[in-house]
Amino acid sequence: MLKYTVRRIFQMIPVFIGVTLILFILRAPGVLPGDPVRMITGERAIPDALREQIVKKHALDQPLHRQYVIYIGNLLQGDLGESYQRGRPVLDIFADKFPNTLRLAFAGIIVEIIIGLTAGIISAVRQYSFLDVLVTLSTSILVSVPVFWLGMLFQIFFGIKLKEWTGGAVHLPISQMSSAEFPDWAHLILPAITLASVSTAYVARIMRSQMLEAMGQDYIRTALAKGLTRRAVTFRHGLKNALIPVVTFVGIDFGVMMGGAILTETVFSWPGVGREIFLAVGQRDWPIVMGGVIIIVFLVMIINLIVDLSYALLDPRIRYGGDAE
Amino acid sequence: MPALLEVRGLSTRFTTRDGIVKAVDGVSFALEPGKTLGVVGESGSGKSVTALSMMRLVAEPQGKIVGGEVLFKGADVLKMSEREVRDMRGNRIAMIFQDPMTSLNPVFRVGRQIGESLILHKGMSRKDAFDRAVQLLDMVGIPNARDRAKDYPHQFSGGMRQRAMIAMALACDPDILIADEPTTALDVTIQAQILELIMEMQERTGTAIIIITHDLGVVADIANDVMVMYAGRQVEYGESRHVFGDSLHPYTWGLLDSLPRHDSDEKGELVPIEGQPPSLINVPYGCAFHPRCPYAEEICRSEVPPLLATDTGHLSACHFSADPAFRRGMDRDQERVALK
Repeated sequence: MLKYTVRRIFQMIPVFIGVTLILFILRAPGVLPGDPVRMITGERAIPDALREQIVKKHALDQPLHRQYVIYIGNLLQGDLGESYQRGRPVLDIFADKFPNTLRLAFAGIIVEIIIGLTAGIISAVRQYSFLDVLVTLSTSILVSVPVFWLGMLFQIFFGIKLKEWTGGAVHLPISQMSSAEFPDWAHLILPAITLASVSTAYVARIMRSQMLEAMGQDYIRTALAKGLTRRAVTFRHGLKNALIPVVTFVGIDFGVMMGGAILTETVFSWPGVGREIFLAVGQRDWPIVMGGVIIIVFLVMIINLIVDLSYALLDPRIRYGGDAE
Repeated sequence: MPALLEVRGLSTRFTTRDGIVKAVDGVSFALEPGKTLGVVGESGSGKSVTALSMMRLVAEPQGKIVGGEVLFKGADVLKMSEREVRDMRGNRIAMIFQDPMTSLNPVFRVGRQIGESLILHKGMSRKDAFDRAVQLLDMVGIPNARDRAKDYPHQFSGGMRQRAMIAMALACDPDILIADEPTTALDVTIQAQILELIMEMQERTGTAIIIITHDLGVVADIANDVMVMYAGRQVEYGESRHVFGDSLHPYTWGLLDSLPRHDSDEKGELVPIEGQPPSLINVPYGCAFHPRCPYAEEICRSEVPPLLATDTGHLSACHFSADPAFRRGMDRDQERVALK
């Protein structure tokens, strides 16, 4: 297990180099428009001396490969550089935003687990029933609806129309993390559901197919032959086997959500990592974009590793190299 | 002795896209306490479905038991409530299956899986059930049973898994053990061990056994009674020595001829039965075996042969079973084939 973990950590290095390289090539002059000095100083003309100073400070006079080496050098020391626009260290900016993203991710994953698993299990246990058809149909629709559009529909319906119809009595907050009008948790509802929408549909589908597959296995017949009730057979013998792939999906999805949900956070003005990156892209604030993407890549890799390691806990057949019997 | 189990006219059908499959068609037999019944036939002859029907484990809604009675100690299993059936399953009638690789749940420890029915039927605590599971594993010949009970199925070899399945089935000391092809998926060297174990367990616990197999050799050694099935119907049924020794059905002859013989130095050729078992959707008219039967005549194509008692007392379903010219037992063949 330890050997496996170490090997996996080493495998992260090439991924890391690849991601940072691609990002660097994208900001090479001529690939994407925008002069960093202009981004920092704005449209006004500036004295050459100041320009020189800014160029030096951000090492913009160096050839690209030198800049890359400098950047990686700083990165290894925990320095992600300074934002062009805000003049603050990138790490500080993300340290501010990350807890917000984390909160949204937790809420999203809870929605995903509760609704996704329940829908999938019902769908499998009552195969071909009305509920099954309903689940199959709605998950098909959900996976094909763009997240930002779903978010906007929610805003229009729960924020505006519902308010009109009920004379202002019932509605939900549609932007920001807090307000005087609502408790903080209410602000989470719509963004969390929006963020979880596609994944919830996938979880329901995976759960359904895995459950159906598990229920067709020989060990289910063995369990029935013991005299167990259908319910015990389904929930004890079927579910535990069916859950293994679902847990994997949910785990990886949690990593993705923690990296910030750019669309959801933007639609709901949620001040998280994703929205920060979105804004930075618009402003060509490269240090933030680079830093943000690196943080996301890092998080996703770590979570994937944790998910892979947790396999061994769920599925006794999997033992990672090193302590084979 | 009164019959422990009596099956009368059991019929099970499956509805498939291609039509209705008559998997079991009017099968009747009886089992006395402590005795062994062998059920023999090719794949798809309805052996397993017969067993599953007795346990009411036929997958619904595709499968349906459409007729007959399964009297267990006088009570009709087919008329029992769901609850009564559950109380019987694994407790009074237990079952082991063909493939021990897939019949154990991969995510639960072996000891727990064995203990499960003890908790369910005997109301044992988890710990007592586990201790009993260890005893059972020891009884079926698993070394270091206490440690191995904590293993998962994939840590067991095929033979050990089948031993564990037997331990699981015997946990509640059932009246009947149904073994559905218990040795088919195992190595030849392990097969004999498992059969021996089943017989040893029968001696020790006095359970009656129904052993389902396509291997006549398995049945010949251990069964008191034998039922030969073809296309969902019984073709021959009775005491083992009569079915094998005084067989009056060409299908049974075919099965016997396709068996390698160990008891003579003569290297007799194996004679396979020509053709394939019929589709159970379009069972041949008349005697289901007639298209493959070297002795088939007009009546075989038009009338279903009744299952009738023969001189020795066993039952046979061939139109010619009563024909003295026909029943020269083992010295049939050449001339008869030449006649055709």
